[in-house]
Amino acid sequence: MAHGKKKTTQHPDRRANRTILVRTLFLMGIFGVVAFVPLFVKLYQIQITEHDKYEQMAIDQQTRDSTVSANRGTIYDSKGTPLAISATVYNVQLSPKDVAETQESYRKKVEQAEESGKKGPDYPEPTNEFIASNLAEILGLDEADILKRLAKTGSQYEMLKWRVEQTESDAVREFITENNLQHGIYLMPTTKRYYPYNSLAAQVIGWVNYNNDGKGAYGMEAIYEEDLAGETGRVVTAKNGAGTEMLYRFEDYYDATDGNNLTLTIDATIQYFCERILEKGVETFEVQNGGFAIAMDPNTGAILAWANSPTYDLNDPWGVTDPVLSAYLEAVENDPNATEEAYLEALGKVQNQQWRNKAIVDTYEPGSTFKSMVLAAALEEGVVSESDHFYCSGSVTLAGHTIRCSKREGHGDQNLATAVGNSCNPAFIAIGKKLGAEKFYDYLEDFGMIGKTGIDMQGEADNSKGGLVWDREYFTGIYGEASLATASFGQRFKVTPIQLITGASAVINGGHLMQPYVVSDITDAEGNTIKHVEPTEVRQVISEATSERCRTILEGVVDGGTGKNARVEGYRIGGKTGSSETGEEDHTIVSFLGFAPADDPQVVILLAYDNPKPASPGSNYTSGGWYISGGNMAAIMAGELLEDILDHMGVEKSYSAQADVVVPNVSGQTLATATTQLKNANLTVRTVGDGDTVTGQIPASGASIPGGSQVVLYMGTDMPTDQVEVPNVEGKTAQAARQALESVGLYLKATGTTDYGSDTVALKQAVAAGTSVDRGTAIEVQFIDNSGGGAGWGF
Amino acid sequence: MPKLKRDLTMEEQLARGPVDMPFLMLVVLLTGIGVIMVFSASYATAFYSKSSGYNPTYYFVRQALFAVAGLAVMYITSKINYQSLRWMSVFVLGISIILLVLVLPFGYGRTTVGAQRWIAIPLVGSFQPSEIAKLGVILYFSARLSKRNTEKQRRLNPRSYLSGVAGLLDRIGLLELVPYVVILGIIAFLMMKEPHMSGTILIMAGAAAVLFAAGIKLYWFIGGAAGLCGLLVLMMSGYQSKRILVWKDPWAYPKDGGYQIIQSLYAIGSGGLLGLGLGKSRQKFLYLPEPENDFIFAIVCEELGLVGAAVVLILFALLIIRGYWIAIHARDRFGALLVVGITTLLAVQVFLNIAVVTNLLPTTGISLPFFSYGGTALMIQLLEMGIVLSVSRQIPAPKQG
Repeated sequence: MAHGKKKTTQHPDRRANRTILVRTLFLMGIFGVVAFVPLFVKLYQIQITEHDKYEQMAIDQQTRDSTVSANRGTIYDSKGTPLAISATVYNVQLSPKDVAETQESYRKKVEQAEESGKKGPDYPEPTNEFIASNLAEILGLDEADILKRLAKTGSQYEMLKWRVEQTESDAVREFITENNLQHGIYLMPTTKRYYPYNSLAAQVIGWVNYNNDGKGAYGMEAIYEEDLAGETGRVVTAKNGAGTEMLYRFEDYYDATDGNNLTLTIDATIQYFCERILEKGVETFEVQNGGFAIAMDPNTGAILAWANSPTYDLNDPWGVTDPVLSAYLEAVENDPNATEEAYLEALGKVQNQQWRNKAIVDTYEPGSTFKSMVLAAALEEGVVSESDHFYCSGSVTLAGHTIRCSKREGHGDQNLATAVGNSCNPAFIAIGKKLGAEKFYDYLEDFGMIGKTGIDMQGEADNSKGGLVWDREYFTGIYGEASLATASFGQRFKVTPIQLITGASAVINGGHLMQPYVVSDITDAEGNTIKHVEPTEVRQVISEATSERCRTILEGVVDGGTGKNARVEGYRIGGKTGSSETGEEDHTIVSFLGFAPADDPQVVILLAYDNPKPASPGSNYTSGGWYISGGNMAAIMAGELLEDILDHMGVEKSYSAQADVVVPNVSGQTLATATTQLKNANLTVRTVGDGDTVTGQIPASGASIPGGSQVVLYMGTDMPTDQVEVPNVEGKTAQAARQALESVGLYLKATGTTDYGSDTVALKQAVAAGTSVDRGTAIEVQFIDNSGGGAGWGF
Repeated sequence: MPKLKRDLTMEEQLARGPVDMPFLMLVVLLTGIGVIMVFSASYATAFYSKSSGYNPTYYFVRQALFAVAGLAVMYITSKINYQSLRWMSVFVLGISIILLVLVLPFGYGRTTVGAQRWIAIPLVGSFQPSEIAKLGVILYFSARLSKRNTEKQRRLNPRSYLSGVAGLLDRIGLLELVPYVVILGIIAFLMMKEPHMSGTILIMAGAAAVLFAAGIKLYWFIGGAAGLCGLLVLMMSGYQSKRILVWKDPWAYPKDGGYQIIQSLYAIGSGGLLGLGLGKSRQKFLYLPEPENDFIFAIVCEELGLVGAAVVLILFALLIIRGYWIAIHARDRFGALLVVGITTLLAVQVFLNIAVVTNLLPTTGISLPFFSYGGTALMIQLLEMGIVLSVSRQIPAPKQG
């Protein structure tokens, strides 16, 4: 029983102990092992798998990253003249919170001074009104606006004015020091881009857009952004959660690398000539859509100048200064029906227009300037020669369409040179036909007329896309006949101006198609050359011999052909005129492609005016009486331009029989020696008096008069010293003008065209009629051939 | 004159046995690492804070003093024959309930953290009555449950018409649960008044572990767990739901609620495999709020890397396993249950703290034993370890041969 009793009491006890053992072991497994598994897995995930992510996030909040701005590189022209430079200027910043603290401390100072009986601060109390009125005056801002910003005492950052000029920042700095406002008003250094020549080469250089992180917008500033910008430096400092410095210092400094400098192939002087001539033409010919002028070294493809009209001031790119655009804007502004929106839209449109580099962004039908390449192709292929003759009846009927020549009554019988000189369309249609569509298209490609030139200029249009030029299949196919005909005189396909001038250069430079370029050197801030651009030849298109024949024929265009208005006494100029159709009524692009010297071209130019305004709808003349054509407008301007450029480049004038000569000093010599000397100088002699030695001469030594002119020698007789009145010769033919001048003892110094036919009249005389001048003075008179052809293409 | 060994009773002889060295070493090691980490984690906060007098060693010195005092308390406790805790348990529980009542009108914390959890003792510092309640509950439950089988069955008059119902209730084990449920109910009610959600969870967990080990029928735990889940779902629909949203995507609430966990993850993630090096945490520089407190483990991870964190985890795991080992080998059921309760409490606290710091679970304020700054909490912690050591002294030596 006792045994049994013990059993009954012990049995549940042992069972209970067993339960405790099992359940404790279970708990041990759970809390000692299993529970740690998810913890470890989670830790592994955070610390190893996602380590980089969290570390980056942590570092982002733990560090303060302040930038050290790099100096933007300078842009130089080919002669080292800076065209774009950066300078340090200041942003004026306001911290209303700090200002409030400064004001508080001022009040404390005053209180302390009162308590101790000492003198208070010796500067005025920095009230909001005081600060606002002074800053408003210095910076030309609205006082009420500054007051409003000062009232935001929670703000630490109010930008008052961006990039103030030095005079203003100096004034602000003085104001700050005088009034102890160092804690409140801040001058933060930043850079500003300056363009010393304002609008010079605006579309080529481009500008810096402060609204877009100071990145380049347009032009070189944009495409060479990476080179120019340099690398912004960084200062990384550790900060604690409160945003202040860490207990232990941690600072990483990455130096800013200044931007690289660009040296352009552009010559600022030539650029200036181009812009001036463009402006002059736009004004003279009442050009409505501006124009462009490109000057290039034909042997290298280096761009010497690149001007667009309308243009703008790079220092104020958003402003509109171009007279044509301003007039348009004014008209919109004054239109009572126009809304504010309409004005802003017009402004945006106008800004876009002045920023765009139309000589590369836009395409146009090249017109007769393209004939230079057709000529070269035909000569190279041997399908024509100088002895060939072409007959022009005034029109050609082709595939049912009548294509008229510029001269309605026809040029009649012409040899190759005259046909080019006349810019005769029927003749070129015939040449194109001889060449054949396949060959023609080959040359289109070889001269780079399809696709881009690859110039380092922003926004080059690709004419191989968008149906601007035919594809080979169509051109050489059965429907291509009319295309071949129109292509022969440069119509019905579009190229960019840079394409045209590059192709034309290949015609005259010995047949080398060069890749045009604008940047010649990239140097770092220390002046080490990083990149030097060598001229790149794309391909040889025609032979040197063919090129030489082309030069001769194209010189003839200026020497008596449609381009005769481009003639400059003493320079051998070759070229080709062009008047491009645009498809719009009364909208012509007049252009001139010129090069000089004709025997060894140093410069090639392409000058074009887009849309001179006809006097009345359908008229061929402007209200100023100018016949609308390349030969009558662009050529005359091109002549002046080329003379300036050649003179600047130091190309010597060469004189023919009629060229000016300098009168030598023959006073005191015998008649015989004087006569010989003058004869050698290509002058004739007339004597007055019968002495043995020359006592006087008219004109005086050193004067420049046309070759072949007569020099009057006074042999012992007194030389008349009275002055003579200059007669009016404007509108007279060359012969009449010469007679009128010689009758009063003056010389005619003719400039411009030398084909003194009945159509050639004096345009302008350098000395106004009625002016009294010395006897023997050479009066410079500019002549122009103002004969207009009939309506038609390609003249 | 000390008594000789032969003069001692059997019980007294056992109480003089050696303490469990592995457990002691682990406690000392963790306490040491904890104090060092408090120093590392707190000195930036202390340096920048006015309340600590801009003294970077402010927290460290305090924690170190309490650690030394706590180790002394542990030693003394380990010397006490834990059998005397049987009768003390009623008083500890009673005092803790009184303190839980008193903390509501006389404590503080509502203005700073929105919960009335602390009672200040002049000169010593402050403590949370809930810490004492944890101990009280485990002591009382262990003492009572250890006698579960030997208790005299109370029998109702079989003729009473209640006897049928009571008999049924008794058979399914409900009747014996009543006192425990009532005690836990009172404590939970009082603590939710503070409110102190995490403390309540810990007390529940400790109590449940003791009940579980004591052999309470499993279906009550299943039922209890189900009931708790239901309660949790109910709570989620209320103000606590924000916690769940923050838990799911802290970055969606960087300002309200997510900040601390985001900073914690930054710290842990920055640590990588080997860490930034002891003392080189960057997140403690005013980014991670109170880095010396509940989120100290994040700083451990940042400074010591995954390797360091794993070492700390392993030390905790070893301590916990050793704790249960002591429980299994304890001389009697009271000792076993006592150690199971204390060890489980520690384990749950470690698990919940690290789970919260790593965003495995939604944020709730649970400190990391031996690591988190808090003098009295550390002392109570070490006192509990002393009790475990005391139990370990009486483990009978394995029989020879």
